[in-house]
Amino acid sequence: MASDQELIIQFQASTNREANFTALLKKHQQKVYYQIKRMVTDHADADDIAQLVWIKIWDKLDGFKMESEFTTWLFRIAYNETLNYIQKQKKQGTNPSNSDLLDYENATASTDSPKSTEIQIGLDRAISQLPEKQKVVFMLRYYEGFDYEKIASIVGTTIGGAKANYHQAVKKVEGFIKQL
Amino acid sequence: MEKDTEFNNQESIGNSLEQDRAWAESLLNKQSLSQFNASKIDAPLNYFESFPDQLMSRIANERSEKLEKKNAKIFVLPSFMQPINRWAIAAAFIIVVGGSFIFLNNSVSKKTQASIVTNNISLQDISIEEIETYVDTNEWLAEIDVQAQMQKENARLSTLDKKQIEEIKKTITK
Repeated sequence: MASDQELIIQFQASTNREANFTALLKKHQQKVYYQIKRMVTDHADADDIAQLVWIKIWDKLDGFKMESEFTTWLFRIAYNETLNYIQKQKKQGTNPSNSDLLDYENATASTDSPKSTEIQIGLDRAISQLPEKQKVVFMLRYYEGFDYEKIASIVGTTIGGAKANYHQAVKKVEGFIKQL
Repeated sequence: MEKDTEFNNQESIGNSLEQDRAWAESLLNKQSLSQFNASKIDAPLNYFESFPDQLMSRIANERSEKLEKKNAKIFVLPSFMQPINRWAIAAAFIIVVGGSFIFLNNSVSKKTQASIVTNNISLQDISIEEIETYVDTNEWLAEIDVQAQMQKENARLSTLDKKQIEEIKKTITK
């Protein structure tokens, strides 16, 4: 399989642009979608944001200078698009994650034991209440296994700041679960 | 910076990925963390298979829409009809018309003044002798005209008979 860099060079050289772009898309679409969906929960919203992200990539890929990793750039765009979407939702007074959270609570309540369900719901509520930056840093570190340098570039902070965000996120979630 | 250093120095954070994960799992529940992730990353069946085609058709649509908009701009709203340009055109028109009106007015009045001045100068400059000569010449010419006219009349009268002469006399006396 061709590397990101090779695909981008071929795309920028205008040789079979769609094929090279589709190869990049297929390679990374799942991780981008998951990152978005962890922040907005609803599939329709995540799908809409994912499309906006990839359209932006299509528009800007010609100007990408490969000074950073392609995935760092891709996840930064995904993070910013998701933040924009969440801010718009807040302005409109709708919070998409609340209804999904209720659906999720109903689903887990019927399958798990009472204790694990309680912890599960607590964890979900706690993570949903984290500030967006802390939430994303926690997700990218714990679930995606990104290093702090990359996470810092994605969310626009220092390496130390990213570490602090991870620490605070875990501590806040722990505190919330203890209150249950 | 102090905050960064504080967290860098903590044993629990900023080491290896495995250590960071282990630390989070010791405080939170590992099973819950994996269940949470599983609940978030589900997607409808065949979503990832159909996504590239959907996206590429959307990109193609947006491209054609952009092209249409570009073309529509040329036909629907030409640049010279845009609000700012319309005012500029109106202003330029007023300046041209007004300016030419003022310019023409000035040039006409200057010409009139110039002709008056020319006339005045010519009358003043003509000497009395010249004027008298002109009048004398014209008087002589007028006399010639009168004499020629009288000769013509005499010649006509000489051709008339007595009856015609009497009729003329009658009409004159009437």
